[in-house]
Amino acid sequence: MKKLLSILIAVSFLFAAPALAKDTLKIGLMCPLTGSWASEGQDMKQILELLADQVNNDGGLLGKDVEIVIGDDGGDPRTAALAAQRLATQDVAGVIGTYGSSITEASQNIYASAKIIQIANGSTAIRLTEKGLKYFFRTCPRDDEQGRVAVETIMDQGYKKVAILHDNTTYAKGLADEAEGRLDDEDAEVVFFDALTPGEQDYNTILSKIKATKPDVVFFTGYYPEAGMLLRQKMEMGWDVPFIGGDANNNPDLVKIAGKKAAQGFYFLSPPVPQDLPTKEAQEFLDAYKKRYNATPGSIWAVLAGDGFRVLVKAIEETESTDSDKIADYLHNELKAFSGLTGTISFNDKGDRVGDVYRVYKVDAEGNFVLQE
Amino acid sequence: MELFFTQLTNGLAVGGIYALIALGYTMVYGVLKLINFAHGDLFTIGAYLGLTLLTSLSLTDHLGPVAGVLLLSVMAMGLVGVIGILLDRAAYKPLRTSPRLSAVVSALGASIVFSNTVMLVYGPNPKVYPHGILTSQAIHIFGLSIPVMRVIILASCIILMVALYTFIQKTKIGTAIRAAAIDQDAARLMGINVDRVIMLVFFIGPALGGAAGVMVGLYYGQINFTMGWIYGLKAFTAAILGGIGNIPGAMVGGLLLGVIEALGAAYISMAWKDAIAFGVLILILIVRPTGLLGERVAEKI
Repeated sequence: MKKLLSILIAVSFLFAAPALAKDTLKIGLMCPLTGSWASEGQDMKQILELLADQVNNDGGLLGKDVEIVIGDDGGDPRTAALAAQRLATQDVAGVIGTYGSSITEASQNIYASAKIIQIANGSTAIRLTEKGLKYFFRTCPRDDEQGRVAVETIMDQGYKKVAILHDNTTYAKGLADEAEGRLDDEDAEVVFFDALTPGEQDYNTILSKIKATKPDVVFFTGYYPEAGMLLRQKMEMGWDVPFIGGDANNNPDLVKIAGKKAAQGFYFLSPPVPQDLPTKEAQEFLDAYKKRYNATPGSIWAVLAGDGFRVLVKAIEETESTDSDKIADYLHNELKAFSGLTGTISFNDKGDRVGDVYRVYKVDAEGNFVLQE
Repeated sequence: MELFFTQLTNGLAVGGIYALIALGYTMVYGVLKLINFAHGDLFTIGAYLGLTLLTSLSLTDHLGPVAGVLLLSVMAMGLVGVIGILLDRAAYKPLRTSPRLSAVVSALGASIVFSNTVMLVYGPNPKVYPHGILTSQAIHIFGLSIPVMRVIILASCIILMVALYTFIQKTKIGTAIRAAAIDQDAARLMGINVDRVIMLVFFIGPALGGAAGVMVGLYYGQINFTMGWIYGLKAFTAAILGGIGNIPGAMVGGLLLGVIEALGAAYISMAWKDAIAFGVLILILIVRPTGLLGERVAEKI
């Protein structure tokens, strides 16, 4: 038995040797592979693996192959802290992620104290970049920007009575508060402001209650599974009030859940998806993604993770180093109008993405998301 | 008044589903004094298996919607029941003589295994039942419009519960289940095969949970791999509310919890809906520690 064991160990070293000998440049990805946002995390992983392979096929980065090291944050702050601690000890050049604001927040200080660049992709909460963290960036826009565009859209359509519905998550409540505050300064009245419980199936109670306040429009700041259920049950009630959704609704599954008939006419805000961008980078990315995964990318947030990876690679190339200070400095000051998969990218001193990012989409009769000009 | 009755029908439909799931908690607890925390995930598995059977066998095309859905539900119930028996064999049976906490930990582990298995098999995205299998019509009475599906759900839940109650009260096997719940050793001395009783309980409870899963899929359309958690929690609350271990209690508790939630959300606050439901639970437990219909059972010394 002992002999067998020692042989096994020796053999395993033989196999491990080449892996150890090969020097790779590691880039971390912190994403929710389990838990209720698992679909987002899986998309992020697929996109980053695709982009890393592309970099490696083009000769790698600083003469090394890029290796993606994944930490699963489970969509949960405690798990995220563990994942961040583990990634911080793996000698990564930077970390991409993650999706949820509260999850990113749990990991921010861990990366900051380890002096590791973190580029979040879906965390839109305002306060994340108000802490003055030098190594923190995000490719997604902020909630105050989203609130501004939401209210602008509501006012442009001439709605006077607005119902606001959120789901008590950090993100959705922040956006709801932001919109409510801005509507107070406009010639509009917020007739309803409350939350639903995400993850349930039956929203008839809530819809009946909102209907009783007779709003001209409902602004829902939560996520697409609930939005799909709301639209479906609203149609079954025979109530045709326009719905506007926040940027967590940009997912084709929304139409599947609601059904084409119920989803038709639903507006939502979102950064533009690659399908709507004429740039060479966006189109090439789409083709490569389709070729490899036989689908179009479902989530815009996963595409934003791809952009996070691309700006990090760009910064490493330009500075010819993996030194966090140099990279941070480059991203803050040198990177200007980088052509991303989601439009042009530049960062300000806080690490926020600069520029006019949000667009309005509308669902047509076929269930397609059509960019509104 | 219109709002009140609309919400009442909402609450009864949701409550019926809570009650069906609560029966599984209560039956297992009655016989084994164990809270089967994996029960909510068995409900999820029922919903997913229902979807698989529906799309792969296209039952509704061959048999028409009503017969197709009935057959589908029976098949899903049978499969989930078998999974329930396997769960008992794998996770609980080896721990029969261990301290009670071991089985609770094992149940939590089984729950994690189940929900992640569903995620790996079916993918993390929400799945959707085909639209328009059953009618989406509404009945109009007294100025209310009540979807037919809501009535069907409540009726199906009540039929299943009455059938179970009759089975437990009137048949020989039902008597054996009740006897095993009171005192396993005495039941063994009377010639009852307690192991078989336990197996049966682990078949019936999950089968009812699976039926609830199929109903949720058919009525609401969207299913996801995490939904067992929230439904399981609510159904567990309903079982406690009615008196854990008591079958009519689970039914009453489920319907009551659904109605309390709907009315609380309508008249007090939506965001506080769950808090109101749990608040009512606490109040009832202060007055009646064993739940609404639970009996005072003297602990053996």
